[in-house]
Amino acid sequence: MSRYISTSLWLLLFSVVILCGIYPAVLWVVGQTIFPFQANGSILTGPDGKPVGSLLIAQPFTKDEYFHPRPSAASYDASASASSTLAASNYLLRDRVARALGPIVTYRSGARAGQLVAPDIEAWFRLDHFAGQPHIVAQWADAHNELAGAWVNADPSHAQYVDTWAKSHPSVVAHWIKDNPGTPQPKAADLAVAFFEAFSKENPGSFPAAVTRQTSDGKTVTTIQAVKEGGDIQSIFFDMWRQDHPTADLREVPADMVMTSGSGLDPHITLQNALYQLDRVATKWAADTQRDPVKIRQEIHALLEENAQAPFGGLVGEEMVNVLSVNLQLRKRYGNPS
Amino acid sequence: MWLLPIALMATATALAIPLSRYAAWIMEGEYRPPRILAWFERRIDSGSQTWKQYAAALLIFNAVLFVYGFAVLALQPVMPLNPQHKGMLAPTTIFNSVASFMTNTNLQHYAGEVHLSNFSQIFFVILNQYLSAGVGFCALTAIIRAFRGQKLVGNFFADMWRVVMYMFVPAALISGVLFIQQGMPMTYQSAYQVSTLEPAAMGTTDSGQAKPQTIVVGPVGAVIPIKMLGTNGGGFYGMNSAHPLENPSAWSNFITTLDMMLFPFTLVLMYGRMLKRRRHSWVIFCVMALLMAGTIVWAIYFDTLKPNPGLTAHPASKTFTIPSARSPGGKQEFTLPAVARLPVDQHLGNLEGKELRFGTSAGATFAAVTVDVTCGAVNCEHDSLNPIAALSPMAGMWVNCIFGGKGVGMINLLLFLIVGVFLAGQMVGRTPEYLGKKVGAREMKLAMIALLVHPIMILGPTGLFAATTWGTMATNNPGAHGFSQMLYQFSSSSANNGSAFDGLAVTTGFNDNPNPPPAGRQWDIATGLVMLFSRYLPIVAPLAMAASLGYKKPTPFGLGTLRDDTTTFGCLLFGTIVVVGALLFLPVAALGPLAEHLGPIPFGG
Repeated sequence: MSRYISTSLWLLLFSVVILCGIYPAVLWVVGQTIFPFQANGSILTGPDGKPVGSLLIAQPFTKDEYFHPRPSAASYDASASASSTLAASNYLLRDRVARALGPIVTYRSGARAGQLVAPDIEAWFRLDHFAGQPHIVAQWADAHNELAGAWVNADPSHAQYVDTWAKSHPSVVAHWIKDNPGTPQPKAADLAVAFFEAFSKENPGSFPAAVTRQTSDGKTVTTIQAVKEGGDIQSIFFDMWRQDHPTADLREVPADMVMTSGSGLDPHITLQNALYQLDRVATKWAADTQRDPVKIRQEIHALLEENAQAPFGGLVGEEMVNVLSVNLQLRKRYGNPS
Repeated sequence: MWLLPIALMATATALAIPLSRYAAWIMEGEYRPPRILAWFERRIDSGSQTWKQYAAALLIFNAVLFVYGFAVLALQPVMPLNPQHKGMLAPTTIFNSVASFMTNTNLQHYAGEVHLSNFSQIFFVILNQYLSAGVGFCALTAIIRAFRGQKLVGNFFADMWRVVMYMFVPAALISGVLFIQQGMPMTYQSAYQVSTLEPAAMGTTDSGQAKPQTIVVGPVGAVIPIKMLGTNGGGFYGMNSAHPLENPSAWSNFITTLDMMLFPFTLVLMYGRMLKRRRHSWVIFCVMALLMAGTIVWAIYFDTLKPNPGLTAHPASKTFTIPSARSPGGKQEFTLPAVARLPVDQHLGNLEGKELRFGTSAGATFAAVTVDVTCGAVNCEHDSLNPIAALSPMAGMWVNCIFGGKGVGMINLLLFLIVGVFLAGQMVGRTPEYLGKKVGAREMKLAMIALLVHPIMILGPTGLFAATTWGTMATNNPGAHGFSQMLYQFSSSSANNGSAFDGLAVTTGFNDNPNPPPAGRQWDIATGLVMLFSRYLPIVAPLAMAASLGYKKPTPFGLGTLRDDTTTFGCLLFGTIVVVGALLFLPVAALGPLAEHLGPIPFGG
């Protein structure tokens, strides 16, 4: 028994020395001498000569001049990778995708081919009828209690707005407490559904959203107001609009544009996705550089083709481009985006 | 599409043949080590042991390893190589992690890049990944020797030394160089801060400065080779082999997948070589390969060739009538409205949780292989697999013998084999025999103990957690998928696999975490215990069984003897695995992935 313990300790000691000391040191020497670029994280330098990111790690881009990476469940935080972990059956996944689609989807055929769907969503929203019933927002909150609650918790100003509303609607709150005796002092998020139902009836065809305006003394103030158009309506209600218009022929969006990756740091997008974004990118660079949009589009298209790579030369996958690498080349070629 | 899995299976098989010859040569002790290594060997070789002494040495060594691992993790804040001053993990998480890495499970209730310093990655993760893989390998070797009728089954410590130093280290060094060339970091640094190309795209700090992106690096190139070769699966980064620095390219993904298949394939053939029954081992190999192909095809068919059903159209509205005590007449009608499809081009299959650079079918292939060989690394988010596709990884863990982990998979298969031989014997009314020895009541009892630990350790705790708020508070997906998350966690723990449906809230993290998940500690302790029970009972009981069987007198080969190297025997083995596996787990499969697949999609929200 004691002999086995002492032998165990010897084996452990030898293992620590060889496996934790010598083995990583050998690989470290190989890495640092033969492959220093890779061994130090594949760090690229930017136009100012400073490290700008890793070739292998996605970073966020929001400007229209740049190609945008896949959406990230990790918010592109390379010190805490994460996936969405949403099951295919979970409505939150469909909702997230629908919200991303609403503002960008266009018609594929018909008289308005190529035009955005978004204005039609707003027009439909103002009529305030879904599936033949009035009050879209009330129906939305009834069907998706979790999303209604999430809206309230999304921003302190939202919760504040609901609190103010609750004070001016004591009878609705009292009714809610009667229905939910377990929660005698409901928080803003608890009241979300009741709030949206009442809001929808009082403000048909509107949704509460942040509005920024200038006051007379030149300050900017952001308040929550009932609005009849804007990004919130285009994104949140796209899925319901789609249910009311199942036959509308819409242009398909490449899946990697709206679906998050496993790590949240996938550095690539498919070439198909890049080409989908090409018009936006080319138009914006043409405006910035005051050059011919057709020429710029051709240049950037050629750049994409040059950078496109497929796993195993296309034997096991489709062509894709590295977003940071392409954007870095755009930045070097056309200068600073406006 | 199919090229990737076919190439992987073919390459692994081709490499396993010469490797099995090498492995048998090493384990039989026929090599002559260089003088310096021979000195180490003499120091730890305490002489040949009986099976009981061997088992005792194995358990004592693991106990020592447990104490060592606990100390390393608990002392993380005061150890070197920790420039970010990472603190101590919660004690329950330390227990869970130590149990997890010691049992070759590598279930991670923490995220590597967030919670571990480079010191812990090297001195805890790497060390355990080598040694825990070695333990299973040694156990199988001892069982083989016992089957041969040897009273003395070798020396555990010498076996460990041989496995680790002469097999794992050379293979890991080769893989490591290839991985670094492909883009894996290999540095003792911890993190870089870079200013993004579009300033302030990461947001701004309170003082209006653009936030940098922090890129965590480290000795990734040293951890990953043994993580894969030892079928450990515990990643350097939280998102494991999906992380671009842990799996930078299609080539690294290919080698990664190949690495985890390599030794499990080899061990089956080594079994035949050491027993001098190579045809028999090829029959077993083919049965396993067939099962593996089945899980891969299932995963690819339902995940890569089908779109994510959450975004597609469900054109007809459906009405269900369900029994309800509250509504009049005892029945309630539910109508699910028709669902229109979202305009998303899903010709690449379900891309949620998948990376692009590995190839189209790489996520599904990896998901199936990683559970078959009980590696537990993941290169896509299993939580987001299509519902019915997720049945493939679950089935792999339930059966737990499709090549299986280092040695342990082969041992599990031997249990199914004994049961199969027993059933066949019952059918023809003869005393069952294996390797020419009569299988008696004692062997059957030991085999059944080892075999039943697994379902008990999965179904019991899953039931407990599903029935209490410990489980329901931890799931982040509604309905049947929430149940699947709990089921998967315990299946993974009991199969010593280590992959997970990551949405389950089990990461307590640092001890001073102000917002721990509601049932994090309960999950830590429960899965930790499951891992320990499901590891050591199925090692010790089969060792006892092999000894008991091996020391019997051989019966002469006759006309009525069940031949173990024929297709018939292969079918018998295949049937036993499928039938026993299905009998044990079909009910929970119906409650989890099958219910989710057939039920309303989208659901909840």
